[in-house]
Amino acid sequence: MRTVGLFCLAAAALCTAQPAQKNPFANDLRAAEEGRIAFRGSCALCHGIHAEGGRGPDLTLGTYSVGDSDADLYRVIATGAAGTEMPAFAPNFESDDLWRLVTYIRSVAGRGRVAVTGNREAGRQLFWEKGQCGKCHMIDGKGGRLGPDLTSVGRKRSLAYLKESVLDPNADITPGYNTITVVTKDRKTIVGVQRGFDDFSAQLMDSAENFYSYEKSEVASMKREFRSLMPASYRGLFGEKELSDLLAYLASLRGVREGGK
Amino acid sequence: MKRWTVILVTVGALGAAEITQEKLRQAQSDPATWLMYGKNYLGWRYSELRQINTNTVKQLTPQWIFQSGTLGKLESTPLVYERMMYVTGPTNHAYGLDLATGRQMWHYAKPLPPGVSICCGQVNRGFAALGSKLFKVNLESTLVALDAKTGNLLWETEIDDIKKGYSATAAPLIVKNLVVVGIAGAEYGVRGFIDAYDADTGKRAWRFWTVPGRGEPGGDTWGADAWKRGGGSTWVTGTYDAELNLIYWGTGNPGPDWNGDVRPGDNLYTCSIVALDADTGKLKWHFQMTPHDLHDWDAISDPVLADLTVRGQKVKAVIQANRNGFFYALDRTNGKLLVAKPYTKVTWADGIRPDGRPNLIAGQDPTEEGTKSCPSVGGGHNWQASAYSPQTSWYYFPTTEGCHTYYKTEQEFREGLLYTGSTGTPIPLDPTTGAVQALDPATGETKWKFEMVSPPTSGLLATAGGLIFSGNREGYLMALDARSGKPLWKFRTGGVVIAPPITYLLDGKQFVAVATGDALITFALSVP
Repeated sequence: MRTVGLFCLAAAALCTAQPAQKNPFANDLRAAEEGRIAFRGSCALCHGIHAEGGRGPDLTLGTYSVGDSDADLYRVIATGAAGTEMPAFAPNFESDDLWRLVTYIRSVAGRGRVAVTGNREAGRQLFWEKGQCGKCHMIDGKGGRLGPDLTSVGRKRSLAYLKESVLDPNADITPGYNTITVVTKDRKTIVGVQRGFDDFSAQLMDSAENFYSYEKSEVASMKREFRSLMPASYRGLFGEKELSDLLAYLASLRGVREGGK
Repeated sequence: MKRWTVILVTVGALGAAEITQEKLRQAQSDPATWLMYGKNYLGWRYSELRQINTNTVKQLTPQWIFQSGTLGKLESTPLVYERMMYVTGPTNHAYGLDLATGRQMWHYAKPLPPGVSICCGQVNRGFAALGSKLFKVNLESTLVALDAKTGNLLWETEIDDIKKGYSATAAPLIVKNLVVVGIAGAEYGVRGFIDAYDADTGKRAWRFWTVPGRGEPGGDTWGADAWKRGGGSTWVTGTYDAELNLIYWGTGNPGPDWNGDVRPGDNLYTCSIVALDADTGKLKWHFQMTPHDLHDWDAISDPVLADLTVRGQKVKAVIQANRNGFFYALDRTNGKLLVAKPYTKVTWADGIRPDGRPNLIAGQDPTEEGTKSCPSVGGGHNWQASAYSPQTSWYYFPTTEGCHTYYKTEQEFREGLLYTGSTGTPIPLDPTTGAVQALDPATGETKWKFEMVSPPTSGLLATAGGLIFSGNREGYLMALDARSGKPLWKFRTGGVVIAPPITYLLDGKQFVAVATGDALITFALSVP
């Protein structure tokens, strides 16, 4: 975001992210196909090769946290989505290419819509009580710090992705939440989530939310594993109805409410 | 009178002497300076300096930091002579710095015009120098000559049209009175070339098209008219053998990168090393590492020139750890293969035949649904500068270890827009890692690997102090033992190290300098 904003100052002509109004390619099948090609190159890594989501939201649902008009989609592709991992693509694409991307996204909208069937309020109780999810996850400033903050997870992740994350936490790991294990020279083992890991040092936070920083040369061993510290026991803990309630709650988490809590 | 003298000496001391063609040919024998991209014409990035060595390197400490204030990242090889350092920045910035203090003596900047297509960052890799001039390319595919004392523009020449997707990022190479430049844009369906310009006037002396046209030798390796957008960019600086009067330059991927259906044939001279007559630009020989490339495996990394003893025979060689995962040593007089051996995990070919062609393994081509293949898109060894040490007779280069999933899509060509035919993507939960490798170029045998948690970003520097300097993605500058790969020193610079480090003398004291993040840091031994 910062880069793009300042780019605009430095070289205004670079910025195709002008306030865009109308999609010149609306419902144009050829433009949608061209958009699909660009999508595979630049978007598939996060949104999936078929736009069904992954690290980024499922774009086949037909509803978007950034607004539902073509202009909203154009804007977010051009300038990124503040507070998410979505970067700005204005430096890489000409205006028409951004519209072609929008046209492609429109063409798949509704294809993968999965209805939220559970009871959100029941899900909220399961999250905080039976599941004890708040021990490690924070929502609206309440909860633990070990796992990712879930305040806006409903607009960042697809329902299918959320379900997979609950049932199989190792299926995909949010960047920065790998598991670090350090064994000190006096044989103490510290396990935590990754805050930093490089060729010479590791920084981590353990389950008691303590920070540690170690130099590789000063410990017996340090390793990083691409696995989650989240227990894999939720598959057995929740019944089918409970799971769908929990997912309804997670899907409803759209961000910090205006005016505080 | 006395005061006059002092002023004259002080002013005259900065940037006084001119860079002659003779000085460039003898660059290796003057370890105090750094006069060209690869340190010498052979692309060694090796310095005879040994004050900083395996014993003393622990005392290496920062001396000054220059903050460029630009938003992009520096990946420039600085030039150093006559108490000045010349460094290019991203987005058409460049600086002349006082070597003693890092204070800026001048700043060159040119606003980027609209419509420049850059696939991979608005970067620049450095200056070339001749006489009292500095030469650099600008992103919008122009070549500029600057006055070394002021940074003032002396001339600017358009290399080619940005509307066609051309851009420029590589440091030029001075050969005699010519400024030799490569271009970028193979992700935009350009037709690649190498150009030479008169250093005095900026007038083009010759052009070598890396993609031959219909009816020219090699033009029948493209189907009907795919050569018009055939790629074969030349975005990393080449090397020069003054005795043979040949320029060696690597060429990039064919276009579109991942869909070869529209370009049936070998697609000459993409993914190749070409040897050109320095005076005319005429092709002397070529060697294609990856015929009909489908994985974006440019052959652009420095074609390092080294004299080797291969199977008992002394031979003038050109060596390259190629992006396709194989190390190659070629006879640089005729382009014949001497050695080819994988240096990382390779799944697309099970060896290289004596004629240089790979033995392909089936099922490795990109598909609509994706095909896992190794190495990853960046290689292997990508553009990051390599080094050759005559002290160990080993070749050093950074590598990415791992695989990618390769996708293919049909794509219609539109001038000036991305033309890649899909992509290669990381494999979830199986990320690529990195290494610095030492390899015996006479056999292709890996001598050691320093393994890194992330793919490499920085180039290398070798010194007679028995050291290999490298940066990494997490911002460390490190010194490795050239014989064992053991890390001996490190410093966290706070920015990703993309540039290769250099070394030089100031007042008899050895310094190491590296561009990192948007800054440049110099190091010297602290006084004990």
